Amino acid sequence: MKPIKVIIDCDPGHDDAIALLMAHRLPEIELVAVTTVCGNAPLARTTINARRIMELLGASDVPIAAGCASPLARPLVLGTADGPSGLDGSPYLPEPTVEAVPVHGVDFLAAKLREAEEPIVLVPTGPLTNIGMLVLKYPELLSKIEKVVLMGGAFYRRSEIITPTEFNIFCDPEAAEIVLASGLDITMVGLDVTMHVLVEEDEFAAIEKIDTPLSRVVFDWLKFYEKLHRGQMGIGGALHDPLALAVVVDPTLIETREAHVSIDRTGTHTFGATVADYFKLNGLEPNVKLASQVNSAKFFEMLYRSLED
Amino acid sequence: MTATKHRIILDVDSAGDDILAILFALGSDFIQLEGVTAVTGAAGPIEQVTNVVLNTATLAGRDDLPVAAGAWRPIVGNSKEDMEAPVHFEKQLKDRFGERLKKFNPPAPTPIRKAMDKHAVDFIIETVRANPGEISIVATGPQTNVAMALDMAPDIAQLVKQIVVLGGCFTTPGNITPVSEYNIWADPEAARVVLRSGAPVVLVPLDICEDNRVAPSMLTRDDLADLAADHPDSKVVRHICENFPIYIDIWREFFQLVGFPLDDAIAVAAVTHPEFFEMTEPLFVDVALHERLVRGQTVAFTGRQILSFDGPETTRICKGLDGRSFLKLFKSSIGTLA
Repeated sequence: MKPIKVIIDCDPGHDDAIALLMAHRLPEIELVAVTTVCGNAPLARTTINARRIMELLGASDVPIAAGCASPLARPLVLGTADGPSGLDGSPYLPEPTVEAVPVHGVDFLAAKLREAEEPIVLVPTGPLTNIGMLVLKYPELLSKIEKVVLMGGAFYRRSEIITPTEFNIFCDPEAAEIVLASGLDITMVGLDVTMHVLVEEDEFAAIEKIDTPLSRVVFDWLKFYEKLHRGQMGIGGALHDPLALAVVVDPTLIETREAHVSIDRTGTHTFGATVADYFKLNGLEPNVKLASQVNSAKFFEMLYRSLED
Repeated sequence: MTATKHRIILDVDSAGDDILAILFALGSDFIQLEGVTAVTGAAGPIEQVTNVVLNTATLAGRDDLPVAAGAWRPIVGNSKEDMEAPVHFEKQLKDRFGERLKKFNPPAPTPIRKAMDKHAVDFIIETVRANPGEISIVATGPQTNVAMALDMAPDIAQLVKQIVVLGGCFTTPGNITPVSEYNIWADPEAARVVLRSGAPVVLVPLDICEDNRVAPSMLTRDDLADLAADHPDSKVVRHICENFPIYIDIWREFFQLVGFPLDDAIAVAAVTHPEFFEMTEPLFVDVALHERLVRGQTVAFTGRQILSFDGPETTRICKGLDGRSFLKLFKSSIGTLA
C-alpha cells in the first residue's frame, strides 16, 4: 500500500517530538514536510527543536519551515507542559546540520499543497495559527487537503482531569474558529481521548525493554514529561500529539462523533473552551468529528513498533 | 513636479469613495502609487473589489498599476445576518431612488486585465521590506490584509513609514452601530493587530469625514459642475460626473450630510498634506471586541484616565481637517487625469 502523505504543523514539545518520530518511522506515513508554530515555546525555539528532532531521527531531508510567531489576533501565551525550552530534559538531541527552509511556513505549506499530486493529510499538533492563516490566504488550495487530524479541544468526557480549555485552542481561538469554519474534513483529537493515553509504569517498562538508541531518548523525554504532568495533575504523561498522528495511520484507534463545535472567546472562566452541539440545537450542521473513545493499548503497540530497529 | 513623492500602497474595499481615492492618488503630483491591494469589505466579495480596482486603473489609463487581490474573509467578522445588513439597507435606497440606484456599487464589468499573480499580503510585505522607511500604507477598508501582513511578517511594523487607517469614531456616532464605524467593525481583531503592532499609525475617524462640521470637504453637485466645466475632455471627470450624483444624493438624504464624504481620499491626503489635519500626540488606541452592542468601538487612551491598559502609544488620531484645502487639492488632482 502507498504511504499516506502527511504534513505535520507543530510546536515541539515532547509529545510533538514523538509524533514526528512516529511519522518518520512508521512505513504507513510519508512525512512530506514539517511546519512550526509558536505555542509550547516561542517560534524560534519550536523551530530549532523540530530541526534537532529531525536531525536525531536522521530525517533532515524532510523540509522544515517556520510559520507564525504569534497567534493571529492576540499576544502569545506560552504553554507550560514542556519546560522553558519547549523540550527540556533532552540531553541527547544533536545540533541540526540543515537550515529551515527560508520561506514562511504558511507559504511553504501552500507550495507543498500546490505541487501535491495526491491529497495531503494535515496533522496540526500546536495552536492552529498557521492553518488559520492558510485558510485566510489560500482558500483555493484547501481542496488539496484530504483531511485534518488535529490535536485540540476538550469536551468534558473526563471532567475530573480536564480543565475547561485545551491549550492549542486557547492559544489561538480565532485561528481555530477559521479552521472549524473552513469546510475541511476535520477530526479533533482532544483531551477526552488523549488523557486516556498515559505513560505510566507499565509503558515505561515496555519502552525500556525495546532498548534501541531511539527508545532510550524517548524514555528520557517521557520521564521528564511525566514528572511535569504528575506534578500538575497526579497522572502519567498524556501522549496528546502522537495520538493524532497515530489516528492517521489507524482511524480505528478512536471512536468519533459528529458535532458542530464552536469556541468560547468571551467567557470569564471558559475562554478558549470548545463547545460541542451534538443535537443541532443551534441549527448548524456538524463541522468536526470529535474523538470520544480511544484504544490506548493499540496506540502503544504502534508507538513501540516505531521505536524498534 | 515636487521634489520627493510619497510612496503609497493603497488597500481598498472598493466602495464609491475608494474609487475616488484611487483616482485622487493617481492624479496627485505628491504621490508615487506603488500598488493597490484589494480587501473584502463594504463593496462585497474579493472578486468584485479587485475588478473595481482594475477597472478604475484602466479608466485612468494606468494598466501598468500593480493590483493584487487580498483577503476573502475577515479574521473573525460578525454574524452572517449582521454582515449582510448593508445589503438590506440598499433595498431601502431602492425604494427611494429606483432605477438611479443602478449606478450605486454596480457589479463590476469584466476587467481587461487580471490582477497580479501575487497575494495582496505578499505584495505589502515584499514592497515594505524592499523599501525600509519609505512606504506608507493607506488602508481604507477593513484591516484584514494589513493585519495578515503583520502576522506573517512582524518585522514590517518597524519598516513601514506609517499606516493610515480609515476607520473608527470618537465624537461622531458610528455608522454600523451607534459606537462603531464599519471598517473597524467588519474586522475588529485585524484593526487591533494593526493598532498594537508598534507601527506608526494615523487614524482617520468618521469625525473628520462623515460629519457636517467638515462640510467643506464633501463632494457636492456644484463640485461636479466645476470639474466638468474645467476639464471638459477628461474621461475620468466625465465618469465621475456620470456615476457619483447618486452617491451625493444618498448621503444627503439618508445621512443628512451636505455632500458625499470623501473618507478614503482624505486618508490619502493625510500622507501628503498632514498640515491640513489637526492630530493628537501618539496614543494607545484599542478596539472593543466582545458584546455585539459595542463590537468594533475604537477606544482612545487620552491620558486622563485612572485605569491604565497595556498597549503601544503609536496612534495619532485626526481631530480636525481643513476641508476647503483638502477639496481644492482633491479637485485639482483629479483634474490632471485625462
